[in-house]
Amino acid sequence: MEKIIEILSKLKSGVDFHTAERIVTDKIIDSIDIASLITQLEDTFDIEIGMEYMENENFDSAAAIWEMIQELQDE
Amino acid sequence: MTITSVNFMLFLLVLFLVFYACSVKSRWKVLLAGSVLFYLLAGAKKLFPCIVLTSAAVWYGARRIGALYAEQEEKLKAEGLDRSGKRAIKEQYKSRAKRILMLTLVWCVGILCVSKFAKYAVLYMDRISMAVNGTAPFSALKILVPLGISYYTFSTVGYLLDVYWKRYEPEKSFWRFFLYAIYFPHIIQGPISRYNLLGQELKKELRFDSRRAAFGMELMLWGLFKKLVIADRLNVFVSAVYNGQDQAGSIFLIAMLFDAFQIYTDFSGYTDIVRGVSQIFGVELEQNFNHPFFSKTVPEYWRRWHMSLGSWFKDYVYYPCSVSHWVKQINRKAKNRFSERACRLVAVIFPVYVTWVLTGLWHGTGMTYLCWGIYYGTLITISSAFQPEFRAMTNSLRIRTETFFWQLFRMLRTFCCFMGGRVLTRPGSLHNTKIIIKNILMNLQPMRLFDGTICSFGLGRLPLALIFCSLVVLWVVSMLQERMSVREALEKQNIVIRWVILFAAIFSILIFGVYGRGYDVVAFMYQAY
Repeated sequence: MEKIIEILSKLKSGVDFHTAERIVTDKIIDSIDIASLITQLEDTFDIEIGMEYMENENFDSAAAIWEMIQELQDE
Repeated sequence: MTITSVNFMLFLLVLFLVFYACSVKSRWKVLLAGSVLFYLLAGAKKLFPCIVLTSAAVWYGARRIGALYAEQEEKLKAEGLDRSGKRAIKEQYKSRAKRILMLTLVWCVGILCVSKFAKYAVLYMDRISMAVNGTAPFSALKILVPLGISYYTFSTVGYLLDVYWKRYEPEKSFWRFFLYAIYFPHIIQGPISRYNLLGQELKKELRFDSRRAAFGMELMLWGLFKKLVIADRLNVFVSAVYNGQDQAGSIFLIAMLFDAFQIYTDFSGYTDIVRGVSQIFGVELEQNFNHPFFSKTVPEYWRRWHMSLGSWFKDYVYYPCSVSHWVKQINRKAKNRFSERACRLVAVIFPVYVTWVLTGLWHGTGMTYLCWGIYYGTLITISSAFQPEFRAMTNSLRIRTETFFWQLFRMLRTFCCFMGGRVLTRPGSLHNTKIIIKNILMNLQPMRLFDGTICSFGLGRLPLALIFCSLVVLWVVSMLQERMSVREALEKQNIVIRWVILFAAIFSILIFGVYGRGYDVVAFMYQAY
């Protein structure tokens, strides 16, 4: 989880990603941020994020991203 | 039959009476019959099979993919399967589903491309024929384009991809799916509706609700005001300037300004009318415009303008491009060679340009639209990649970013970017664009705005004053809509005030709308796609 927050903080400074929710819905990060986030998540957690997971709710908070990663690691 | 015609209003009245006279359970069938009738009356009847063939292919393809996934789940339940066994089953079914997906996509996109590019094929065949035997036999061929082909192809292809990506189950009934594809309020000019929203809306019990119907009619009136009072009047001036000879730069600047408001009021007016129509039948269509001229950046502008198209391209082109294997490979290679900032740029640059070039080609097939796509791709890449530099610049210049005037400056800057995009496509060719830019830079002649020249482009002083007043009304209503629901606020008013406002709206459309002798109701600008 801390790793995710570190990646997100590098992407967008000045946001507390521990508490921030609805980060995609409220446009804190946009689709361009998500595109660069994907490669970093894949490399850090050794996963492959397919189109099945490219939905706003999977990227809306650090917790949601963590949940998605766990699901992908279990596959 | 256009949606601003008397015939359409009569069609609507008859459909409304039949719709609510039927039982709740069969109302969707009335909508389906009404939509087919509208399609036949509004478009080329001979091309009706095109929408049937696309819808049938997508519906069947999605059903097959759904059946494969169901079979896969059954196999995965089998005992004794380890992780690699499960992965093998998943890969096997995924590749079978992919084959069906690709076949269906080729079919649908093929029909779309043929109808979009057939005119070029005819042109080139004629050129060859002229060179060989001096005749041009193909020019007599009349190329027809199925009504709303871009819109229904995009809606149905989006549904197919969503099923393939397991976002929802496929629709069992073809007729239900066909209604989603051909639903008359969105068939001509969108919004490009998502199946999980519109499909579900059409499945619910469609009961009469007087409040919703009143809201729908108010929205229709607002749309008609935008289209008939503002857009069609602006069209007289804009067309006269762009179709005429060389003009002074200042006149071109006014035409660019008017053109921006024309396309906005034309397209958002259309969307308001069809959303209002749909609300009368109890079906909510997605919002397509959210006051784009209040946007402070170009990416924000595209989240507020033609929202359903932007979100379609984001979900079905931009994201698939971003997660594609070879884009990831490029990103990883960049990571080993460049800085983190440069890597971020590499990660976005390719998907952004692909998305915007395709968005450009969706709007039109010439060089102007290719340049338009590259123009927006560049603006969006710069806006995203250089955010830290922009922030540092505003800090070093000690600009107070929270002030009203700074926000206003950002809005005007975004508006100018939009006008820049329009000047690439509206004049019809890059040669004309060059003439306009040259005149603005080297032949401005600002006094032309005050010596009466401006009244020589089809609109006298009175119509120009009317345009000014209408744009003020548009601005005030848009400001109010940013803060509240105007229709709900109107509902809370005293009945006298409510009716006075409604009658004022109706009479202003009847009196100030552009129709009758000397004027034609102008075709909606986004109707040709």
